[in-house]
Amino acid sequence: MFASTLLEGIGFGLVAAAVIALGAVGLSLQLSVTNYINFAFGDLMSLGAYFVITFNLGLHMNFYLAALLGAVALGIVFVVMNIFVLRPFVRSGARVFTLLVVTIGVSFIVQNGTLLIWGPGAYQYTVNVGDAMHIGPFVLTPGDLIIIVIAFALLLGLQLFLQFTKLGKALRATSNNVDLAMASGINTDLVVNVTWAISGIFAAVAGVALAVEQNNLRPLQGFNQLLVIFAAIILGGIGRQMGALLGALVIGIATAVTGLFLPSGYDFLVGFVILILVLLLRPQGILAGREVVD
Amino acid sequence: MIYFLLDLAVLGTVTAIMMVGLDLQYGTTGMIDFTYYSFVAIGAYMTAVTTMGHPPAGFNAGPLAEQYILQWSLPWPIGILIGGFTAAALGLIVVLVTVRRLRSDYLAIVTIAVGYIVYTIANNVIPLFDGANGLFDVPQIAQMPTEPYATLLTGISLVALAACVFVSYRIVHSPAGRVLRTIREDIIVARTFGKNVQLAQVVIFVISSFMAGIAGGLLIVYVGAWSPLAFTPTESFLLIAALVIGGTGNYWGAILGAFVILEGLAEFTRLLPQSIAATAAGPLRAMLIGAGLILFLRFRPQGILPETLLKFYPRRAAMPSSEPPVGVIPGDSPGDSPGAAPSAKS
Repeated sequence: MFASTLLEGIGFGLVAAAVIALGAVGLSLQLSVTNYINFAFGDLMSLGAYFVITFNLGLHMNFYLAALLGAVALGIVFVVMNIFVLRPFVRSGARVFTLLVVTIGVSFIVQNGTLLIWGPGAYQYTVNVGDAMHIGPFVLTPGDLIIIVIAFALLLGLQLFLQFTKLGKALRATSNNVDLAMASGINTDLVVNVTWAISGIFAAVAGVALAVEQNNLRPLQGFNQLLVIFAAIILGGIGRQMGALLGALVIGIATAVTGLFLPSGYDFLVGFVILILVLLLRPQGILAGREVVD
Repeated sequence: MIYFLLDLAVLGTVTAIMMVGLDLQYGTTGMIDFTYYSFVAIGAYMTAVTTMGHPPAGFNAGPLAEQYILQWSLPWPIGILIGGFTAAALGLIVVLVTVRRLRSDYLAIVTIAVGYIVYTIANNVIPLFDGANGLFDVPQIAQMPTEPYATLLTGISLVALAACVFVSYRIVHSPAGRVLRTIREDIIVARTFGKNVQLAQVVIFVISSFMAGIAGGLLIVYVGAWSPLAFTPTESFLLIAALVIGGTGNYWGAILGAFVILEGLAEFTRLLPQSIAATAAGPLRAMLIGAGLILFLRFRPQGILPETLLKFYPRRAAMPSSEPPVGVIPGDSPGDSPGAAPSAKS
């Protein structure tokens, strides 16, 4: 009895981990290239999910087409945000500290802008997640499976892009050392923009997957998820895609399994407690990353 | 109208106390604390439970009865001090967890996580501070009508504000203050010069958490109630934004930010037509502050009232320091601090 409950918990954890991983990899990729954290990421995730709501409910598009368009739209928003808001700061030599506060300003604007446009109510996509069924030891809905498959496909695609394309290599080079990449003739401005676009696409998919997993889309949903994403990234070691994935798995499964035993309301605290423990015991993350000092 | 102004005076002064504390850690030392308002909340809660006594018997009995720990009936100044010390103790724990890491964004993330933990505990553990219902009917420090009471509290808050400004002034204008600004400008330089960066960060974080706790205590004896809804992460972000716009690194900027950006704008939105104010005032105000934050950081990073230390440095360099060190940072000797090359870019 206990074992089967535990396995069910791990099943829910896998879905949660897929949702966290989408956000964590999107945020971590941008962080590793630009070297500053985007605190607006959670609110932008929600913005992407709201875009999809408008395409899906307002314009009566098919859910998957709407999600695709939403991801592209949010990718564009990310690039525009980089060019008009963040890049001027980077060019003027602003420090990580300042950029952090700038992204907080962006978060304010996006969070309250979505609240003004879409209101405080909850939305649901016109997608049927199906009924829960037993798959091996797990109890999952077809919607959950689709989330896991899409997350896996996107992460695999990103990994292939980074490993085997010229642009992907340029991106890794820029992430490693901007000056050296520039000196080697890499158009780092283009690389940074591509990074933001990828980050935006992942953010939109993560926001939509989160709304599907939690059955509706509410204000502050993305903002609250942001902290879980941070926990996953720090757990895996800042600046490592595989680390972010591993961190997402640990946080997702730990949250879901302990959620079976803890009263509701406490479950998402587990991620933060893990985060603080990791900072105390192994601050470089599970997979030791390179030391970055600002 | 008189009440309107008095309300603004109390809230503005109390917010100014928070901002002076925040300015010590953010503006002077360059530490980002995204859950500063949680320390305000701790101060408010502790002040309430140490001064309220037992909940009235028979009143709202049964499941609606207020539940909270301690139930002491101490005099209000001691209650507020306990609030301050509890906030300082929590601040010590938080900063000890994070201070071993150099990256400033680690502190930022951990403070958010701590904020959520404090919020969730206050919201769910009902015997502690009455859970989501929050504490209410916190007694006034003196029985009197609203307007004289607001005047009295303005006076008390002004005294507390003056004390905080004095402490902040003594720290900032001492050799230790130069170390703090060096940490803000370049933490590696501060370490290279043999300064004990971690000790400085811990001390400043604890002092400013104490100020937040005091402000929380004053706030709750004025408004008389407190619940988890009062300290969402947005409150801390708003404080930082108001500080950046008002001017970092000096308490006049902090005070201006408190009165004009936070309380002034909030009171102003009340004057909007009811139909707009009900739904859109809050988000519009936050968007305005967000846009202001970005524009100020881009075009006037020193804020409306800039840090004025710069112009004193040539004179200070010419004559020996007449000011004794405040002794916050052991091992600091006057005159050799590289903090004399500030650029107010934070």
